[in-house]
Amino acid sequence: MIELIDVHKHFGHLKVLQGVDLTVVKKEVVVVIGPSGSGKSTMLRCINGLEPVTKGKVIIEGEDIHAPHTDANKIRQRIGMVFQSFNLFPHRNAIQNVMLAPLKVQKKPKGEAETIALELLAKVGLADKADAYPDELSGGQQQRVAIARALAMQPDMMLFDEVTSALDPELVAEVLGVMQNLAEAGMTMVVVTHEMGFAREVGSRLIFMDGGVVVEEGDPREMIVAPKEPRTQKFLSMVL
Amino acid sequence: MDTYFNPQIFADSIWLLIKTLPIVFEVLILGLIFSYVWGLALSLIRISRFRILRYLSGAYIDFFRGLPLLLLFIFIYYGLAVVGVKLNAIASGVLGLTLCYGAYSAEIFRAGIQAIPKGQMEAARSLGMSSSQAMRHVILPQAVKLVVPPLTNEFIAMIKDTSLMSVITVPELLFRAKEKMGVVANPTPLTVAAIIYVAFTIPLIRVAARLENRGRRRSKGKDKPSTEMPKGGVMH
Repeated sequence: MIELIDVHKHFGHLKVLQGVDLTVVKKEVVVVIGPSGSGKSTMLRCINGLEPVTKGKVIIEGEDIHAPHTDANKIRQRIGMVFQSFNLFPHRNAIQNVMLAPLKVQKKPKGEAETIALELLAKVGLADKADAYPDELSGGQQQRVAIARALAMQPDMMLFDEVTSALDPELVAEVLGVMQNLAEAGMTMVVVTHEMGFAREVGSRLIFMDGGVVVEEGDPREMIVAPKEPRTQKFLSMVL
Repeated sequence: MDTYFNPQIFADSIWLLIKTLPIVFEVLILGLIFSYVWGLALSLIRISRFRILRYLSGAYIDFFRGLPLLLLFIFIYYGLAVVGVKLNAIASGVLGLTLCYGAYSAEIFRAGIQAIPKGQMEAARSLGMSSSQAMRHVILPQAVKLVVPPLTNEFIAMIKDTSLMSVITVPELLFRAKEKMGVVANPTPLTVAAIIYVAFTIPLIRVAARLENRGRRRSKGKDKPSTEMPKGGVMH
């Protein structure tokens, strides 16, 4: 479903990704961990083409998203993304945030887009906040609206970029709960996170990145307890 | 007192000068519309991905920001006539305002657009929007709110700069005031003109200040990490 082949990404002299190979199959929940600066977020951004790659390929369901003649906008419609800083549109209320892309990109009629949006807001537990503007919502609520907004395009896969890192501790659980429901419903997910509990409970595979490469991967339950690589051991001993 | 506030001349001048207002308004309204449209277009080109267009737009903006508007008016009205391009005075005035204020407002629009956090564009693109859809539905609606106060200040400057058109025979306030001054050999008509100018500009100055304060209050009033819009300034 998602295939990264020898992906390199350089920012000037800074080599953030140095040959990442990764395959994500349907319904898999891949959890990516690693120290800051290890290239986790950059990898996610390369997957949906927000960041061009320096070298290598990213194949989404058979299409190379970085190839010059690919319609990346079209492919991105099938890849939902949720950000650390929520990035809700502040000039629109919750339901308008969720409806915007279905209306403008998929050209859905207003009534239909509204129905979908209300269903999704209910799904993330915010049916009563449809008319609230982002600055009237808590961080956890904003992030759940952001998840609903990404789901409104009916994506085949979802990317989560440290989505609970900017939240107050007591608000983390509500967001992780929504993500767990999504995983249980069979969504293909790539989740960059520091929440080891989530990795253990929900992840079908754990990836440890460091220095722009995948250092180790494996079953999260096994890997958290008994990591093989010294770098993984060191990192896990610090976060657990 | 009798020199600058001669009651008889004062009374005569008021009606004479008020009669010029339709022309001042005409020039201002056309100048406002054209220069903002042109400025927005220039700013979008300035941040587009086409390097040559970006460069040309930047060069245009720098050139017209650096050029005295009075010179531009004279060039359009008298200078172009030499090669057979004859524009009437009002058209020359509107063209001059558009060329010059287009460059000013382009910089304001650009700052407004670039003040919108990068995450807004990324969120829009991640939903499958093209960059022009993201610009239209996400970035510009937020940027427009930011640029209203500085554009109001620009408009105040534009009102004052209409007086420069007296040099190219546009029958506006200063033109008529000077004419009258010559006839009556007394500067009172200038006093009247000054009063009329500030009667329009001072309320706008107040409006602009209030808009700026409101924007500042709104962005200070929040402490949550969010998609907050920074005020003014250029980011990234």
